[in-house]
Formats: sequence, structure tokens, C-alpha cells
Amino acid sequence: MASTVMAFSTPSQLHSLPNPKLPNPTLTKPLPLPLPKPLPKFPAVAKTLTGTLAAAAAAAALSPLPSLAAEIEKAALFDFNLTLPAIAAEFLFLMVALDKLYFTPLGKFMDDRDAAIRAKLGDVKDTSAEVKQLEEQAAAVMRAARAEVAAALNQMKKETSAELEAKLAEGKRKVEAELAEALQALEKQKEDTIKALDSQIAELSQEIVKKVLPVA
Amino acid sequence: MNVIPCSIKTLKGLYDISGVEVGQHLYWQIGGLQIHAQVLITSWVVIAILLGSVIIAVRNPQTIPTDGQNFFEYVLEFIRDLSKTQIGEEYGPWVPFIGTMFLFIFVSNWSGALLPWKVIQLPHGELAAPTNDINTTVALALPTSVAYFYAGLTKKGLGYFGKYIQPTPILLPINILEDFTKPLSLSFRLFGNILADELVVVVLVSLVPLVVPIPVMFLGLFTSGIQALIFATLAAAYIGESMEGHH
Repeated sequence: MASTVMAFSTPSQLHSLPNPKLPNPTLTKPLPLPLPKPLPKFPAVAKTLTGTLAAAAAAAALSPLPSLAAEIEKAALFDFNLTLPAIAAEFLFLMVALDKLYFTPLGKFMDDRDAAIRAKLGDVKDTSAEVKQLEEQAAAVMRAARAEVAAALNQMKKETSAELEAKLAEGKRKVEAELAEALQALEKQKEDTIKALDSQIAELSQEIVKKVLPVA
Repeated sequence: MNVIPCSIKTLKGLYDISGVEVGQHLYWQIGGLQIHAQVLITSWVVIAILLGSVIIAVRNPQTIPTDGQNFFEYVLEFIRDLSKTQIGEEYGPWVPFIGTMFLFIFVSNWSGALLPWKVIQLPHGELAAPTNDINTTVALALPTSVAYFYAGLTKKGLGYFGKYIQPTPILLPINILEDFTKPLSLSFRLFGNILADELVVVVLVSLVPLVVPIPVMFLGLFTSGIQALIFATLAAAYIGESMEGHH
């Protein structure tokens, strides 16, 4: 903290530097402390005051705390040196390395996977059409089977009813034949009876005539 | 006369309590040039984390992703989405740039908040997020400028420079100025946010070591993520802007 404060308030006056390039600390200048402004009326007094203060400052900086002067060095916040090109080179190296190891291969991998997934999705859409076709085929098969079954059923019905009718007709014919026979027999019996009756009628009429008419 | 020693003593006390070191670096000399070693070390760790996790997770991609692969696929989709939103349909070639930008800044920022860097004592300076050094942020912002110039020039040839007098030639100075303010604002925004975030956490920890800093730490994590997103989004937006046609 102290170094910050010192660095920003009196950057050049207090320090001894390890940096050989920079100028040596000048300890003779007065510290810019809030001194009262020398009055123009008393220039001599002001001069001596400043001189004394400067001497005091120099003494204070040198004698009481010799270690502090060494510790608080100039805060070199804005010194540009070889670090700049070194970091720039490191950055370029890192860029190439990351491109080779990370951006290009993983990017390509991700793009390929994207394309593969997209293709698979397209395939899935195609299969749905296929499924539809298969469904239609199944429906057609079902329809055909149903029609076949219905036809078979109809035929069977027809056959059965034809058989039934035939049997029925036969029965009818039998019954009719029997009926006709019976009627015929009845007629014959009737004729026979009538014939018998006729002969009896002749006998009876002769007897009646005999009885009625006197024997002459 | 005792004012100055007293104030310095007070400062020394504060210094001992907090132990914040701002703008102090572990210097390495390489060919007469200086380099901030702590930034370099932490950036190596960040790069190692990124490459290691990527190699482990993406080494053998499965059609049905495993946990790690799933996470990295999510990240990649996020980056692609971001690039596509900002750049448009021709975002493909810019995904590595935007993605590396986002991942590097994000992991750097979070490493500053989550990794116990302070456990490792350096002879000078201290380990922290690489992004709290202005060198790092400028090193990320300058390639962004190069990238959007490259994008515009390859897309439109020299006609790209026609945008400097759009919509009117009066804006020429402002349009030129923009090319300088873009990397400047990019780098300083990131640098300032991360540095301020770490400082606030450290100062709060030094003042109240318990409970109180925790919400600020979460806020710091949030800010760090947002800053990474902002940097990547703006980089993509600049690239998209220089590629789009203006009529």
C-alpha cells in the first residue's frame, strides 16, 4: 500500500533503484509537502525555510529509516520492455497451438456430427414415408383377405341353400306323388263303388218292378 | 521537523500490514533488454493450463461428449456465437484469434484471483495475473489492431482506406485517431480493471482479513470474466467493422 501511495505522490525522489537504466534517486530536492507559500514580502525567510525543509527531508529519508528507502522503490507501472513482444509471441504461439489442438479439430468434429445428425433426421423422415407405404400395403392385404373370406362365405351359403332347395323340391315331389297316388286310389274306389252301386240299382229296379207290377 | 519521519513511519506500518507491491517487477536480462519475469512465468502457467486441459479433454472426441469435452464444446460454441454475432457470416477464420484472446485473458484474470501465486516467493516483485501488467495488455491490443487492418485490407484491398473519409472527409482526423484510441482503450481498460480489482482485494484483506473481502472477491471474479468477454467482443467488433461494407 505504501508503495502505491509513494509511487503516485512522489515517484522520483525517494527510491534507490535496482534498474540500472533509470536515473539515480535525487535526494536533494525538497519533498512536495503542503508547504506554506513563501510570501513575496519575505523572500529571504522563505528561502531559508525551504532550504531547511529540504535538508530535513533529505536527512529524514536517509537517516531514520534506511531500510525503507530500499524497500519502497519506484512503482514501474508503465515501463514497456521486452515483456511486450514476448507476450505477443506467446499469444501467437498459443493461438496456433489452440487452433491445431482445439478449434479446428473439435470444430470439425462438431460440424461432422451436426451433419450426421441432420442426415439421420432426414433418414427418419424417409422411413416415416416407408412406414406409411407399409401400412397401406397391410390395409390392402387386409381388404383382400376380407373380400376372399366374404366370397367364400357367399359361395358356401349359395351351395348350402341350393342343396336345401334340392332336398326341399325332392320332398315336395315325393309328397305330391304320394298325394296323387292316394287320390287316384280314392277315385278308383269311388268308381268301383259306383259300378257296384249300378249293378245293385238294376237288381233293385227289377225287384221293384216285379213287386209293383202284377204278374201277369 | 518530526512530521516527515512520523508520516514515513505510518506509511511503513501500513506497508508492513498490507504488503502490496505495485509496479515492482522481477527483472530478467535477455540480451541487454529487460523482461518482467513474473509476468512471463504466470503466462507460461496460464498457457500450460489451457493447452493441458484442451489436450486432455479433446484428445479423443466422442460422439456423445464426456464431461470435459462437453465443456470445451460449449466454450467453442460460445466463441463461435460471439464471433458470428460481431463479424457476420465470414467469421470462420477469426475463431482462433477471438477464441485465444478470450481464453487467454479469461484464464489469466481468473488465475490472478484463484491460484495461490503468493505462496511462491520471488526475490523481488510478486506473481499475479499476467493481465495486470501493461505490457501484456498492450501485447494483446496491438495484434488486435493488426488483425482488423489485415481483415479490412484482405477483404476490400486499398478501398479499405476509403472508410477514413466516411461519411464525410471532415471526420478524417477523428477516423485516424480512432486507430490509436482503439488499442489504447482496449489495453488500458483491461490493465486498469485487473490491477484495480487485485488491489481492492488485497487492501480489503489487509484491513479486514475475514468475511468482508469475500463478496469483493466474487465481484472480482465477475469483473475478470466480463473484461475477458469485453476484450474479445470488441476485438471481434473491430474486425467485423473493418470487413463490413459501408455504403
